Amino acid sequence: MTTLTDRYVYAALRTLPEQQRPDIERELRGSIADAVDARRDSGEPDEAAETAVLTELGDPIRLAAGYADRPLHLIGPDLFLDWWRLLKVLWAVVLPCVVLGVTIANLIAGTPPGGIVGAAIGVTISAAVHIGFWVTFVFVLVERSSSKRMGPFTTWTPAMLPQLPAPGTGKLSELVASAVLVALAVGALIWQQFNSVFQDDAGNAIPLFNPELWSFWLPYFIVLLIAEIPFALAVWRTGRWTFRLAAINTVLNLLFAVPAVWLLLTDQVVNPAFAAATGGRWLAWSIGITATVVLAICVYDVIDGFLKARRASAVTAA
Amino acid sequence: MDDDLLSGHLQELRRGTVVLACLALLRRPGYGYALLESLEQAGFAVEANTLYPLLRRLEKQGLLESVWNTDESRPRKFYVTSSAGARLLGQLFEDWDALTQSITDLREGNER
Repeated sequence: MTTLTDRYVYAALRTLPEQQRPDIERELRGSIADAVDARRDSGEPDEAAETAVLTELGDPIRLAAGYADRPLHLIGPDLFLDWWRLLKVLWAVVLPCVVLGVTIANLIAGTPPGGIVGAAIGVTISAAVHIGFWVTFVFVLVERSSSKRMGPFTTWTPAMLPQLPAPGTGKLSELVASAVLVALAVGALIWQQFNSVFQDDAGNAIPLFNPELWSFWLPYFIVLLIAEIPFALAVWRTGRWTFRLAAINTVLNLLFAVPAVWLLLTDQVVNPAFAAATGGRWLAWSIGITATVVLAICVYDVIDGFLKARRASAVTAA
Repeated sequence: MDDDLLSGHLQELRRGTVVLACLALLRRPGYGYALLESLEQAGFAVEANTLYPLLRRLEKQGLLESVWNTDESRPRKFYVTSSAGARLLGQLFEDWDALTQSITDLREGNER
């Protein structure tokens, strides 16, 4: 008949190296028997004594980890920062490349815009998860393989400290990036009016966006996009984000997101002729996805502005 | 005073003393469960699932030696402090004395 002790000893020993088992088993059984005897001598019934002793010893896997000197965490404090920094760098470098690659490939293959956005989102999520999993997996192995505590990979020195954001020296790269983005977006809006994957019977391009939008909304969005440039310039001149700039950024985002989502959800964005030419298969869900992406980007941008403002004010106050 | 806070700090303060107490008690040979009892009586309460792996670790570090005693009906692994263990114990005691002196100074407010 197997006792609770048999089951406990089996559970504790099975994860230990073979050659250590007999010795640990003999000692562990002896210790448990000693403790049970002591409880029995003080008048406890056999079974209650055994249960109490095993309860006190606790989870057998925890005990085994103690014998094997095995960590009870995936990544310990020594490696945590290396793990987190590597993960952030890989995400920041690899994900944009992946999105760019997939988008270019889909453009060449002639995938409709909704399909491109969907593919980009899908591939971003799966690449982010893969990077996260494999980096973590390697670090977990390193944490377990090093018999001696080896300390962090990178030794920190004061030279690694970040520069203070000094006034008047904002990131030029951010300014250039927003100017380029605005130029691309305005260019794309105008380009799609005269070029398209679909032609009507007379050979004229069928624009993606509803031509009726040119009466007000498309010029409105172009003006709004161009307004991003003086705003980016203001951020660059100030050298850092302030709460006032974050508030203006919020207004700009609202002016963009509210009409854009409204137009999308009321089916006014896509040219009916374009929709007819595609057969309308992908239209319904790609509009939903586009609206979600627009909202997500705007919300992120607003929050990002306030976070940058708070960080900058914390630094200058210190 | 918050009970969790107090017990947390007390645990931190006592953490290293279990090794010292083991090395001191095992100058006379002893086995797992008996040592658990003597530690408790001596005022060094420690969990069984901490002590048993600790004994093996100290043995691996050469601070304890062990021998199986099969004279009685229940075979027991007896541990005894090795000469290296005794040397380390001496150093731990010295450090403890220095610490006691520092704490006395702190308490009486005559630190330099």
